[in-house]
Amino acid sequence: MSDHGFAFLDGDAKKEIRRALLKAVALPGYIVPFASREMPVARGWGTGGLQITLSIILEQDVLKVIDQGCDGSVNAINIRNFITSVTKVMTTSKTSRASIIQTRHRIPEHELRENQVLVFQVPYPEVLTTVEPDTAQQKQMHADGDYSKLWVLLYEDTSQYGDSRISNRYPVQVNNHFVMDPSPIPKYDIPRMDNCPALQLFGAGREKRMYAIPPYTTVKPLKFDDREFKIEVFPGVCCERCGARDVFFDEVRLGSDRRYFCSDTEFCDKNMEKNDAA
Amino acid sequence: MLLDVRNVSKIYGTSCDQCLSLTGVEHDRAICPECGSVVAVNSISLSARKNEILGIVGESGSGKSTLLQLIYQDIRASSGEIFFQGVTDKNGQPSNILHEPPSAVSRLRSKEMSMIYQNPRLGLNFLFSAGGNIAERIIGAGERRYDEIRSNALDYIRRIEMETSRIDDYPEEFSGGQQQRIQIAKALSSSPQLLLLDEPTTGLDVSVQAKILDLIKELQQDMGFSMIIVSHDLGVINHLTDITVVMKHGTLVEYGLTDQILEDPQHPYTQLLVSSIL
Repeated sequence: MSDHGFAFLDGDAKKEIRRALLKAVALPGYIVPFASREMPVARGWGTGGLQITLSIILEQDVLKVIDQGCDGSVNAINIRNFITSVTKVMTTSKTSRASIIQTRHRIPEHELRENQVLVFQVPYPEVLTTVEPDTAQQKQMHADGDYSKLWVLLYEDTSQYGDSRISNRYPVQVNNHFVMDPSPIPKYDIPRMDNCPALQLFGAGREKRMYAIPPYTTVKPLKFDDREFKIEVFPGVCCERCGARDVFFDEVRLGSDRRYFCSDTEFCDKNMEKNDAA
Repeated sequence: MLLDVRNVSKIYGTSCDQCLSLTGVEHDRAICPECGSVVAVNSISLSARKNEILGIVGESGSGKSTLLQLIYQDIRASSGEIFFQGVTDKNGQPSNILHEPPSAVSRLRSKEMSMIYQNPRLGLNFLFSAGGNIAERIIGAGERRYDEIRSNALDYIRRIEMETSRIDDYPEEFSGGQQQRIQIAKALSSSPQLLLLDEPTTGLDVSVQAKILDLIKELQQDMGFSMIIVSHDLGVINHLTDITVVMKHGTLVEYGLTDQILEDPQHPYTQLLVSSIL
């Protein structure tokens, strides 16, 4: 891995991805195609997020990589090791210290700040695929702002089950215009995308698509005016490790026993430190 | 005037400047002898007032369905002008909808005009329930309150004389006649000003046909919209319409009061049509 420049991708590749990123930031929520290079990781394993991270990362950046909130899972470690092997940047598990956070399926619990970039790995970039398989038609629907088919799904769930059945990938409307797929984050994280001070970038390597939410942009879940948007709640549950409440939990089943832990491991560790100090 | 169609033509093929003058009923052909293009609709002008019911008759291939699709903007006219009440330019003058931006056309299609197709599969989305199909149009017309959408959908299910308990069933689970009634409910649920019907009862059992026609007529008197009905069945035309247009080879053969045309046809083709069916 020594015969390549900084950050693995060649100059042309970075240039192309950055141009696509600029377009994506200029049109919040709009899906921009890009070439999606071959990476030393199989497509579908975070190559979209990886290419975005590699094309924006600088020597002074501090990197954090998580997989479903966990800094220590195999995928997170492998991606982190790969990026450091080609950039030599500092890494951290501390959300507050990172300048670039590449994530799969979660937004860190710790509040994000300005000058941070959150890079999402996206499996299915097109939110309309579930209701309209024709890509030409999908583009037309985005252009017309015609999302009535997504609303019908919401209507059907509400009439048959009382509320939406979508547990993750809940459709959001960005900047009161395009509706987009927020990647498979839980509903718990959806309100936290709204007016976020950090830049949020989304890359889908297999599908060769990217999109973005600039800092301080309105992000609203699709919901009826006379219905509440309900996030996951865990009544009476606290983390078995650090004792935190009202966060997003991982449920671990051991036989008939259900145990709950913070999904964000860094948040959990930080709580433990606080507990120890007290 | 609700709808004003002026000199509208649709040519399929390379088309030359002689297409329109060398085809039509007086030449007894719809294919241009110069360039081989098919002239589906040849310089048709007609208009519809509020509450008026217009019928279009003619043999298969005469261009009647194409004309309806040109009005509904399913396909784009090659030349001509179409004016619709309320569609104006910035000076308040009527504006040709063929030159309106796509957003204005899609508003027209989702609110002011509705189409009922011969085949329910074209008008209904079989992935959505009966209520979902009706909701899609109500949502498309701008409603975002669930309770309002649901009660409207229930109201239209009632209006088409169907059990309201079947609102969450899927189109597959209904008979052909019921599917056609759901299509009618869907089309009317945005309270359109103009309803376009393309052979709405062809292929249905005669007793079902009569019921559907009665239902359409009742709803029309109740809600007060205008209709254009395409049919090759003079019985249907006689039963429903005030004014009749007879088409052949893409041109207008005869245009007048339905009674007059059926009782005293002037053009040889109309005479043949009336004598052969009635």
